[in-house]
Amino acid sequence: MTGASAERYDVAVIGAGMAGMAAALFAAERGLSCIQIGNGGGILYASGLLDLLGVQPMAERRMWDSPYEALTALARQEPMHPLARVDARSIRSAFDTFITALGAAGIAYAPLGDRNRNVLTSIGTIKTTFGVPRAMVAGVYALEARPPCLLVDFRGLREFSARQIAATLGRGWPGLRHQRIEFPGYEAVPELYAAHLARALETRETRARTIALVKPLLGDARAVGFPAVLGLARASEVHAAFETGLGVPVFEIPTMPTSVPGLRFLWALEEAVSARGVRRRHQGKVRGLAFDGEAGTAVLTLDDVPGGECVSARAVVLATGRFTGRGLIADRGGVRERILGLPVYQPASREDWHQRDFLDPSGHPINRAGLRTDDAWRPLDASGKAAWPRLFAVGSILAHQDWMRSKCGSGLAIATAWAAIAQADRQLRGTGAG
Amino acid sequence: MSPALFQTLLHASLALCVLGLLWRASAWFRLRIGPDARAATPWRRVLAVCHGVGAALFSRRVLRLPGALVLDVLLLRRLFASGKLRWLGHLLILAGFTLLLMMHALAPLVSARLFPGYQPTLVPYLFLRNLFGVMVLVGVALLLFGRWRAGLPSRPMGAVFVALLGLVLVSGFLLEAHKIASPRAFYRMAQQFVGAAGSAELKPLRAFWASEFGVAFNDLKGAIAPDLLARGRKLHGDACAACHTQPAAAFVSYPVARMLAPATGFLDAGGADTWLLYLHLCACFLGLASLPFTRLFHAVAAPISVLIDAAGPSSAMSAAGRASRRALALDACVRCGICDLDCSVAPLARYLGNPGLLPSYKLMSTGALAGGHQQRSGRKRDGLGGEALRAAEGAFLCTDCGRCTDRCPVALDLEDLWAAGRGDLAAAGLPAPAQWIKARPAFAWAEYLEASPGAHTSSEPGGAYALLSADSRLFSRCVQCQTCTNVCPVVAHSMGSAHGIDLTPQKVMNLLRLGLRDLTLGSRMVWDCATCYQCQENCPEGLRVADIMLELRALAVQRLGTVRGLKEPS
Repeated sequence: MTGASAERYDVAVIGAGMAGMAAALFAAERGLSCIQIGNGGGILYASGLLDLLGVQPMAERRMWDSPYEALTALARQEPMHPLARVDARSIRSAFDTFITALGAAGIAYAPLGDRNRNVLTSIGTIKTTFGVPRAMVAGVYALEARPPCLLVDFRGLREFSARQIAATLGRGWPGLRHQRIEFPGYEAVPELYAAHLARALETRETRARTIALVKPLLGDARAVGFPAVLGLARASEVHAAFETGLGVPVFEIPTMPTSVPGLRFLWALEEAVSARGVRRRHQGKVRGLAFDGEAGTAVLTLDDVPGGECVSARAVVLATGRFTGRGLIADRGGVRERILGLPVYQPASREDWHQRDFLDPSGHPINRAGLRTDDAWRPLDASGKAAWPRLFAVGSILAHQDWMRSKCGSGLAIATAWAAIAQADRQLRGTGAG
Repeated sequence: MSPALFQTLLHASLALCVLGLLWRASAWFRLRIGPDARAATPWRRVLAVCHGVGAALFSRRVLRLPGALVLDVLLLRRLFASGKLRWLGHLLILAGFTLLLMMHALAPLVSARLFPGYQPTLVPYLFLRNLFGVMVLVGVALLLFGRWRAGLPSRPMGAVFVALLGLVLVSGFLLEAHKIASPRAFYRMAQQFVGAAGSAELKPLRAFWASEFGVAFNDLKGAIAPDLLARGRKLHGDACAACHTQPAAAFVSYPVARMLAPATGFLDAGGADTWLLYLHLCACFLGLASLPFTRLFHAVAAPISVLIDAAGPSSAMSAAGRASRRALALDACVRCGICDLDCSVAPLARYLGNPGLLPSYKLMSTGALAGGHQQRSGRKRDGLGGEALRAAEGAFLCTDCGRCTDRCPVALDLEDLWAAGRGDLAAAGLPAPAQWIKARPAFAWAEYLEASPGAHTSSEPGGAYALLSADSRLFSRCVQCQTCTNVCPVVAHSMGSAHGIDLTPQKVMNLLRLGLRDLTLGSRMVWDCATCYQCQENCPEGLRVADIMLELRALAVQRLGTVRGLKEPS
C-alpha cells in the first residue's frame, strides 16, 4: 500500500495511557519525531502514585519492601514476565526520566530511593506503591510513625470521609482525629465535586479562609491530611501555602478515581509530552495500520477528521492497553488484538479464563493474556516471527503479567516503554535516514 | 439613429439611472436593522455618515485607503483569496467593461482627447475593442461556470444583468462584423470620401477592399487582376488609409464577418446596420437605466463597503453609522455564496433542512425583517410567520465563529449584521431558543412532549446524519465517573448560585443511557454549556460529551418548537 500521507514521523505511538505517554516521552527525549494517537482520559483512573512491583509471587501475596529485590525474585520465578526482561539499570533510568519530566510539568515527586512505601487510601486501607508525589509523602511518614494527626474532610464531598478512615485505622493509631468543615463559599451547595474545590483553592482568598477554619482544630496534631483537592494546575503552590499556613506537614489522601490527582497527572503528562514536540491527536483513533515494505514505513489511518487521514511513521509503538483500553477485545470466540488482529496468547477456551474462586490469589489466566514479543519487544505474528521489523508493543497489552494483582502497572508501562523505545531508536539509527 | 433620438434616449436613461441610484442609496439611511438603529432618524444617519467620512479622511486611517482602493477594489484581493476562477472572471469583467466604457462608449470624451487621431477603425483600437469585449464574455462565462460547478442557484436579478451585458456585447460584435462585410457601408463611405459616382472608377478600390478588407461584394467573381489591385491600393492610400487599417485585427468581428459574407446582401437589404445599431444602443441604454435595479448595483455598493472596512471596524463607528453600514450590506451582497460554503453550521442547515441557517439566506431574511415583510409572509404558527420561525432558527443556531465575515469578498461585517438581526427577531417576539426554552424546567418540557400526540410520531431526521444521542455506542461506555462534571467550568460556576444547573453533564449522559433523551432537551446544562470541550477532552472513556450537548440543543429547538405554543398539559 502506498498511503498518501501528509505527515511523516520517526515514531507513531498508538495509545495515550501510561505506557503510551511514557513511550512518547522517551521517544521525544531521544530526539525522535513522534506522533501520539489516542485519548489520554484513561489516565484519570490513576492517582499519580507510581507502582513498580509490590507483590511476588502473587499466589503467596508476598509483599516486598524493596521493589528491586522483588524484581530479582520475579526474574527467577517468572522469566517470561515483561518486567523480568528489563534490567534494573534501565528501570532506574526510566523512572528518573519519567518523574523528572513530571516535576517540570508541575507534579513534584519525593525522591524515589529503593523502597516501596505505604499510602493511606480514602477508605482507610493501605496501598503499597513506589513513587509518591510530594503532596502525599507526609502521609507516608505519618502512617509509619503514627503521631497525633488530624484528618479533615468537607461537608458535601461524598467521595471522601475522614471519619471512615479514622474508624478503620483508629485502633492502631490513637492520635488520629477527624473533623468535617464547610468548604468556604460552597456552604449552600448540597453536593461538592473535588475538581471544583481544587480550582477554588487556587484563589488566595478561599485558601486563606480554609486555613483559618482548620487552624483552630489543629490541637496537638503533628500532620494534617486532606482529601486530594489542594489545587489543580497550581497544586504545588497550594500545598506549600497550606503547610506554611498551618505550620505542620500537610498531606493529601487520594480520593476515588477519577480524582483530582488523576487530572493533575493527566495534564502534567500531556504537557510533558507536548512540550517535547510530540504531535498529539488525542481525539483520534487508529482505524487501520499497514506496512509499506519498500519504503520501510507504516501508514496509519486516523478517523478524527472527516473522511479519515493518513500519517506515516518509520516505527510504531502499540500501547493500546488490554481490555479497558480496548487494545484487546474479548468476545465469545476468544481474545483478539483490535488493530492488526495479532495473535493473542490466551487460555485455550473460555472455560479456562477464570479460576473457580474469584478471589484466588494466583489470579485468573485471562489476566495474563496478551501479545508475545521477541527480545526486541516486537509482537509476534502467527508464524512466531516479529510481525514487522519496527512494530513494538509496550504496557499492559503484553502477555505473561497480571499487573493489578502484582502491583506493577506503572512499572510495567514505564519500563517496557523505555526498553522498546531504546530498541526503536537503535533500529532507526541503524537503518539510516528515511 | 438620429442625433436627437440618441440624445433623448441617452438623457432619459441617464436620468433614470441617477434617480434610481439616489433612491437605492437613500435606503442606506432609511432601513433600520438592529435595535440600536431605531433611535436614529435618516437625517441623523446622514450626518453621522458625513461625520464618519470626515473623521476617517482626517485621520491616519486615510493612509490605508489608497492601498484598499488598489488591492481590494481594483484588483479584488479578497476575491482572490476565495477562489482563483471567480477572481479571474470578475477581474476580466471589471477590466474589460471599464476599458470598453472608456475607450469605446465614451470615445469622444476619453479616447479622442487622449489619443489624437483616434479612429475606431484603426489598429490598435480595432484589436483592443475586440479584446475588451472578449475579456467581458470570458469573464461572464467563467462566473457562470463557477456557479454551476459549485451548485449555486441562478438568481433572477443576476440573470437580467447577465442577459443585458450579453446583448450589448453580442450586438456590438455583430454590428462591427456586419459593417466590415457590408457593401452598402463601403459605397456610403466611398461616396463621402472618394466622391466617385460611377462604379467604374470605384472598381480598383472595390477590388482592393474585397481582397484586403473582407467586404463581401456579391457581384465580384473570379480572380482579381494584379494591376487592378495595385491601382486600388493607391486609391485606398489616398482616400481611406488615414482612417482604416485591415480589419483582421478585430479578431472576433472579422471572422464573424467572413462567416456572414454569404448573407451580407440579404442583411444589407434588410437594413441590418440600422437595427443592429438600435439593438446595441438600446441594450446599452437599458443597462444604464436599470443599473440601480440589477445585480450590477453591487459595483457601486461593494467598493464603498470595502473602503468602509478599510477605514475601521464597525465597533468603532457610531450607532447611526453602523446602521447605515448594515443597510449598505444588503446592496453590496451579491449572494455569491462564498460565506455559505464555509459556514460552521452548514452541516446543521442540511440536517435540519433549513437553508435559513446559511449566511446568504440570513442576510435576505435580516433585510426582509427590517423591511417589515417577515411578519406578513409565511404560514401562521403561534401567531408568528413560519418563515420568521425558520429565520429565527437560523439566526440563533449561528455560532458566531466569524468565518463568513472573514471570507466575504466585499468585506461585509456580517457578525454585526447577525447580532442586529437577532435583536430585531427578539423584538418581534422571537427570542433566542435558550431564552424561551429556559422559561420552563426540563421535566416540564418532557411532559409537554409526552402529552403531545405529534411528539411520538415525529420521525427523527435521518439521511446521512446519524444522531450521536441515538447511537448508544457513543455513550453506553459511560461509567459515571463524574470527570465531565468535575472539569466542567459551567457546573463549577453555577454551584451555589440561585440559577444553578439542574443536571450535571454526567447525569445528562446517564439519561441518554436510560433512553430518556426528552428529559435532557430543556435542561439548563444543555443550554448553559459553554462548549469548552473539557468534558470531551478528559473523558476516560472517550465519550463525545460536548458534541452530544450541541446536538441536544439542535434537537431541542426542533422538538420543543413543536410544543412551544401548547397549553399546560393536564
